Amino acid sequence: TCLSGTSKNACQSEQHLGQYYTVPASHFHTVFPHGLPPRYQQQVKTFNEGCVMVRQPALELISHLKRADYINPTLRYLLYGVKGSGKTMSLCHAVHYCSTQGWLVLHIPDAHLWVKNCKELLPSSYHASRFDQPIQASNWLRNFRTTNEHFLSKIKLRQRYVWTKRESTEEGRPLGELVDMGVSRVKSSSDVVGAVLKELRLQAGGTEGGFRLAVAVDGVNGLWGRTTLKKEDKSPVAPEELTLVHNLRKMINNDWCGGAVIATLSQTGSLYAPSSAYLPQELLGEEGFDSMDPFIPVPVSLYSEKEFESCYLYYLDRHWLQHPHSQTEEGKKELIFLSNRNPSVLERLCAFL
Amino acid sequence: MAAHTLKKSIWSIGRIHCHVYGVNVRNPLNRATYATALSTNHSSQNKGFPDRGNRGPFNRRSRREAGDPRTDRMPVDQDWTTVYPTATPFRQGSVPLPVRMGFPVKKGVPPEKKGNLELIKIPNFLHLTPLAIKKHCEALKPFCTEWPSALDTGAKCDEHFPIKVESKDYVSAGTSLRNPSARIVHLRVSLSACVNYDYAMYLLTVLYHESWKMEAWESEKTVADMEEYSWEDSPSQKNIMSTLVRMQVAGEGEGEAVREELLGRPEVQEYRDSVTRLKNEGESESSMHQYRDAVKKLLNL
Repeated sequence: TCLSGTSKNACQSEQHLGQYYTVPASHFHTVFPHGLPPRYQQQVKTFNEGCVMVRQPALELISHLKRADYINPTLRYLLYGVKGSGKTMSLCHAVHYCSTQGWLVLHIPDAHLWVKNCKELLPSSYHASRFDQPIQASNWLRNFRTTNEHFLSKIKLRQRYVWTKRESTEEGRPLGELVDMGVSRVKSSSDVVGAVLKELRLQAGGTEGGFRLAVAVDGVNGLWGRTTLKKEDKSPVAPEELTLVHNLRKMINNDWCGGAVIATLSQTGSLYAPSSAYLPQELLGEEGFDSMDPFIPVPVSLYSEKEFESCYLYYLDRHWLQHPHSQTEEGKKELIFLSNRNPSVLERLCAFL
Repeated sequence: MAAHTLKKSIWSIGRIHCHVYGVNVRNPLNRATYATALSTNHSSQNKGFPDRGNRGPFNRRSRREAGDPRTDRMPVDQDWTTVYPTATPFRQGSVPLPVRMGFPVKKGVPPEKKGNLELIKIPNFLHLTPLAIKKHCEALKPFCTEWPSALDTGAKCDEHFPIKVESKDYVSAGTSLRNPSARIVHLRVSLSACVNYDYAMYLLTVLYHESWKMEAWESEKTVADMEEYSWEDSPSQKNIMSTLVRMQVAGEGEGEAVREELLGRPEVQEYRDSVTRLKNEGESESSMHQYRDAVKKLLNL
């Protein structure tokens, strides 16, 4: 059948390929406040449950994460594939695994959101030539707080941070205080994000009270390349001039240890990239590739026959396919032909039926 | 009362006539039509319109109905070259295809061909079907001369005409006539066909020695100028070296010895090959797989 009983993703293995596992409803708000693809969120609301298919790329990722040695420098994994093949879903699957294993998850839902459509660009107080993005930073901090509630009181700061003449956060205070300050004082939220990332980088994999850090970035190719933001004299802003991007790039480097970086490439939402591009070097560019190198590319392909069967049976089971013709063999062949087994196209097609 | 009815009768006569001539004109020339008490019963035909003979205000009499479009009467095996013998603008009544062109109407499809200016504006090649071109060739044949029968093999052509010049022309729709790739012209000469062997050797020797001379500005060549990707001293090499050192793979020891040892390892060589292949040849699924395997081996996964 298509629904597997195991909701424990630690025990997922090759036998479960193609089957669905249910994410407990309570996890949705904590683990995924921001990060699931919008259509999938609608599906979850409609079906009143969240089922994720167990697929090869995610299983591979999880097996690497299980076996990796966390004393070594961080391993970077890059999910790539054509549009709609399931990269974001695989990323979310891996994030869910990390979260159930007790890791601290740093999930950036779409790095492209930080390099375009920013209404307010403030010059950074910390570094003269950089720019802050208060709205994006405070939104992200809020979601980060929801995801990692239990860590916020446990992690203590190792350094004193001075925000203004009167405000500072002392050494030894819990991380939660820093995050709250960032959410309330929107002006310095970008610097707070930088401080949070730095603290986590230093403390991940530490021996006393150590935790594992998973950095999940969707659309990582947005960090290199061009932005659509302009300074006041209409000259374009380079990505490294944005505080958020600068700090995130430091996280993606492998000069820290005790965690993993899982990233996906995304053409939808990317700027100045042709719509047929999906291979890593095309989307990352020279600079991006050199920064990510060495990384482990994980290809995400379209549904195999078995996976397609499973998805089709799942939709039938949920009575999502109402049209009588879609329930016949002929109809199934038509669906295969029309969607070419592309997961997102299939989902959109079935929405009409 | 009488005047009133007279006015009504005049109007009604005018309207009846309008109906007869198939045109619904109310007050076409914007002339105030008066109703006078006297009955102005001059020729009832052109009420209110000056006499223009049979041309009428809008030539409504001699205009004939537009008939069916020609497409309705086209057999499937017709001779298309008669429909479009020369380059003419698109005629929607002559093209039996349900073509649509243009920006879609809101919540709809591109507009149909009837009355579509977009289809008329663009150049069309309806007059150049393969059959038409065959006919053109047939017509041009009497004016052509025969290929010389002595040049029937490629070898003979090369012997008599050793220098070949190849130039390319590009056709595209765009803002500019010019295409930079059209400026590349290939000139091919076979060395064995050269009659003046000594001079040719002399030229080649000179070129060879010239190419070895280093100009002052050549030392300013940057990484971006390089034709090929070389792995030495690239960011990729630096990254992998620092990663491996930190992984303490090489054991103790510092500096050059460690580096040399690491570089000599087969996994590092494999990695170097895969990165060079990716950068030089461009990406493909197979080169990505090779890179993946190399990285996995290197990082002991």
